[in-house]
Amino acid sequence: MISQRDFRRQRSGDWARFEALIHKIDNNGWKKLSGSEASEFSRLFRETCHDLSIVRTRDWGTGLTSYLNELVTKGHNIFYKSPPTRSRDFVTFVSSGFPRVFRRNIWFFLAASALFFLPLAITWVVVQNRPELAARILPAQQLDMMEEMYAEAEFEEYDASRAAMGGFYVRNNVGIALRCFAMGVLLGTGTVYVLLTNGIILGAVSGYIVGMGHGDNFLSFVVSHGSFELTAIAVAGGAGLILGDAIVHPGRQSRIDSLRTRGLEAVQIACGAAVMLMVAAMIEAFWSPAPIADGIKYAGGALLWLLVILYLSLAGRGEVAE
Amino acid sequence: MSSNNPTSSDATAVVELHSAIETPENVVLTYRMAGPALRLWAYLIDTVLRGMVLFVAFITAIVAELAIEGVPFGIWLLLLFMMEWGYFAICEGFFRGKTIGKHAMNIRVIREAGYPISFWSALLRNFLRAADMLPLYGIGFITAVVSGKFRRLGDLAAGTVVIEERKVRLPREPIILEKIQPLSRSDIGTYVPPHRTLAVIEEFLQRRFVLTHQRGHELAAHLAAVLSRKLNFQGEANFVEEYPMAFLARVYVTFHPTLNREADEDLGGSAADLQPVFAGGKG
Repeated sequence: MISQRDFRRQRSGDWARFEALIHKIDNNGWKKLSGSEASEFSRLFRETCHDLSIVRTRDWGTGLTSYLNELVTKGHNIFYKSPPTRSRDFVTFVSSGFPRVFRRNIWFFLAASALFFLPLAITWVVVQNRPELAARILPAQQLDMMEEMYAEAEFEEYDASRAAMGGFYVRNNVGIALRCFAMGVLLGTGTVYVLLTNGIILGAVSGYIVGMGHGDNFLSFVVSHGSFELTAIAVAGGAGLILGDAIVHPGRQSRIDSLRTRGLEAVQIACGAAVMLMVAAMIEAFWSPAPIADGIKYAGGALLWLLVILYLSLAGRGEVAE
Repeated sequence: MSSNNPTSSDATAVVELHSAIETPENVVLTYRMAGPALRLWAYLIDTVLRGMVLFVAFITAIVAELAIEGVPFGIWLLLLFMMEWGYFAICEGFFRGKTIGKHAMNIRVIREAGYPISFWSALLRNFLRAADMLPLYGIGFITAVVSGKFRRLGDLAAGTVVIEERKVRLPREPIILEKIQPLSRSDIGTYVPPHRTLAVIEEFLQRRFVLTHQRGHELAAHLAAVLSRKLNFQGEANFVEEYPMAFLARVYVTFHPTLNREADEDLGGSAADLQPVFAGGKG
């Protein structure tokens, strides 16, 4: 049997070469590799794997073992690279991937919608009829401020500051949606809480402003971006409920395995909700406050609601995956 | 994962922060998980970096506001959003599991089976940060301690672990073995030490330079005493007690197939001749 010493002398040249190739790929990536280098890499990877087994079975010392283990570990991580992400993938995701995975999990969206829209509708109706109740949900100053905002038809100046508002809406709304999704991992409780509180607060604000008689100003403002915004909050909530359900009802898998398989679908839905909210933010910043007649805004809003429904129910249908 | 791994039961390296996986090449790889301190440092580096970028961008935006009102702040808020929700996922998704902080601390996120993290896993892992970071990463820390392999909720959902990558160099060869005199055949009996013993000696000699001379002798003394008894060593008196390291080195050279030329001549270098001695020694 060959001794450790001779084995090392024979193989260390290849190991050094393999190390150099790993270093090169780490720094410059795959693409700089020539064809012969790529095949050399795969040959050296397999040989080093074999060397590691030999060293392990013959007990040739922890120093040599951990050296080869490290080499193979790095090689393994490079050799089995995930498919690259391209910009085209984003387009297919938005045009078909997201609506498909959304529809596969439609029941979670419907549950989240119930948790969000029902409290919203109930508080709206109650507060609109008795606006003084709004003070039980929100501080009085905040309500006064809101009312002032919608008291005039041109409640905000339509100028260059719209761009800054756009940035603000993205950060604020997408943040809420993603937090709503992430909290689902706490057995769904966090998602339910975020959906309920947001529904109640939105309902109270809407009911209060409409109840104080600023209905047209308010509704013509929110109708357009509400389509993408409110739907996306419920979509993200549905994704959060998937996480919770995966842990609570794992089926035949372990809870962690179930979370892992279904989490991959949930995160795609959450990501789709984030994209929807970015669209909503742009509408809210540039279209909703535009100085246009209310009638046109209602028409545009109706069109956008239709668009959201058609997108989520029809996009990506019929095509064959891959 | 490690349950169907044939060597996990006898692999002594599997201690709390280590984990073993089997690759498609049927090789068992062991990983060392990154502990809380390393991950905290990496996180702090990333946080300071993000803060600095945002600060510089904010100053730039204030200046740019003078030219085009509104737009620079809008862009800055988008940047803030990306830093909050996108930085970790994009870094880990596109740079094979590393953020700048992780790169500095030499740690990497990988899938539990050793494969590189995919973009969706990176996104899931880092969206769930929002749940993990509740009260000051309390949820994440407790989950990591309880779950094993130090995985926070995001890691559990994405099936990822954070490993420590160390720079390991090929260990030095034991020096000057050629110049060491093998033990004389007349001084020792028929016992032939098994391969594993020789491997232990070899590794000890390789790592000898990290020990002080005294500590080296202390460590070597145990094995040297046992070997000298088994070999029935008749050489210089007190040699084994005084220079146990040297004794081990000489034993190693004596039974090393290529280092000991004398042995080759004695035994004709034939494996068939060695066999009975070997078997006898064992029995």
